[in-house]
Amino acid sequence: MSTIMIVEDDPKINQLLQEQLEKYGFQTVNVEHFDRVMEVFTQSRPDLVLLDVNLPKFDGFYWCRQMRQESNCPILFISARESKMDQVMALENGADDYITKPFDYDVVLAKIRSQLRRAYGQYAPQEGERTVEVAGLKLFLERMELSMYETKIELSKKEALLLEALMNQHPRVVSRERLLEKLWDEQFVDENTLNVYITRVRSKLKDLGLEGAVETVRGSGYRLRATWEEGQ
Amino acid sequence: MKLFLRDQWPFAAFFLVQLILLIMIFALDGYWNESLMIYVMFLSIFFAGAFLVVRYLSHRTIYQRLSKPVESLEELTQTYGNSPLCRAMDDISQEQYRLYKEQLHAYENKQRDHTTFIQQWVHQMKTPISVIHLLLQNEDDPTAESVREEVDRIKRGLETVLYIARLDRFEQDFLIEPVTLRSLVQNVLAENKRLFIRNQVYPEVKVDENWRVESDDKWLAFVLNQLLTNAVRYSAGKSNKVTIRAYERGAHAILEVQDYGIGIPAEDIHRVFKPYFTGENGRKYPESTGMGLYLVKEICGRLHHGVEMESEVGEGTTVRIVLSAIVPTLQESKIAES
Repeated sequence: MSTIMIVEDDPKINQLLQEQLEKYGFQTVNVEHFDRVMEVFTQSRPDLVLLDVNLPKFDGFYWCRQMRQESNCPILFISARESKMDQVMALENGADDYITKPFDYDVVLAKIRSQLRRAYGQYAPQEGERTVEVAGLKLFLERMELSMYETKIELSKKEALLLEALMNQHPRVVSRERLLEKLWDEQFVDENTLNVYITRVRSKLKDLGLEGAVETVRGSGYRLRATWEEGQ
Repeated sequence: MKLFLRDQWPFAAFFLVQLILLIMIFALDGYWNESLMIYVMFLSIFFAGAFLVVRYLSHRTIYQRLSKPVESLEELTQTYGNSPLCRAMDDISQEQYRLYKEQLHAYENKQRDHTTFIQQWVHQMKTPISVIHLLLQNEDDPTAESVREEVDRIKRGLETVLYIARLDRFEQDFLIEPVTLRSLVQNVLAENKRLFIRNQVYPEVKVDENWRVESDDKWLAFVLNQLLTNAVRYSAGKSNKVTIRAYERGAHAILEVQDYGIGIPAEDIHRVFKPYFTGENGRKYPESTGMGLYLVKEICGRLHHGVEMESEVGEGTTVRIVLSAIVPTLQESKIAES
């Protein structure tokens, strides 16, 4: 389990990041007294550091230099400043990457994972795999697999994303807009494409013997219904 | 020279009248010696003339200065000469210059403080926005969706403020390097996906993956952001497509954003790049600040990109950014070398 140190002076961001990271199986260490950043760093020996630039007393650049004298662990800056100069400064001071506020959890997690992979390679401790479960239907996000009891089927990336949204929200309705947003990564997805993906998800669920599980809610979106449970 | 003559002719006239008066007094008194009188007149006029010439030469700079408009502030600091009048002129113009500079510095400082304040303030605002943004990410209900939209709007507004403040220090904050157009476009699109989805407008991207242009990616992204925001806003409800394409035109690469929306009235089209100009469309769409396109023009100007705009009411609008030549990608240049 990787340990991630969060150096962020805004208590709320700190807490939210901490919760999110812990949810994905990371251990977190945070700093309460900003004149003792190095003490915490030396004691906890984190695998990766998330470092804010604007901090009381000394700025993130300063702490980054200090940390670099002791360790080569990946350091990711998180900052509201997005000027070229700040990014260059960060990298010059030994940081590995730079994330600008406001950021998405997905971005932070992806960057953390890629840095960990790069720094510790295959020897990186396996992160707890993310799974979502609704009444026996289990979705493995990393492997993009869906299982029901002993049967397993593979999903495409978009199908997995769709199911993730539906299952997370279960039993509430997910709006079409939200789904479109989820699916839109590199290539945008329009309404018709969304319909196609919904059809595919339905047929995959059917393969698992679950019919009518994705219900269309007129005018608002889709809902996952654990029809298989209701029938029992 | 002209000014000198105009300035000194009363003196010359006065001198001549006085000379004639003197000679006439002598003549009326009965004393008349023609050659002596001519000699006296010659001598007087000669000395008066010499006086004027010397006077002109010593004050020439002043006269020249006074007869042509000031072109630069530094002219105020030049010295005029050694005569008392020249020295007085020197003193006064230098004093003026000093006062002027002092005031200018005071304003510059104030302006700088203000810009710094704005920038800091925007950055401070980003923390609460980040918190809201994070809090909403795991929420899926319609209220959260609606708050997310508003947060997007605040983010966009703050971004504009920040870029306006930054424009003053543009020179310190840009870096021209090869920018891959396709990924730039995709990033900007991803940033605005909620805007697109909400307005039910979909982007059509026709940009070659390998095209790279000389630009600053952050500023160019901001420009594209503005253009796309406009394109989506003015397409909503009328058309559901916005096309972003890149193509070659001579030695230039063109990045084009085309919408099929409401278009801009012909009488407004030349004024849309003026600051605070909102025009007819701005009145229909309350969110317009009139700054977007002004910033686009300003930024493109500083990056040495051209901006072109075509529009027809009811048909749509096309904005083109004229970029410098396409930089060959690494692969292509390798092929060319071998």
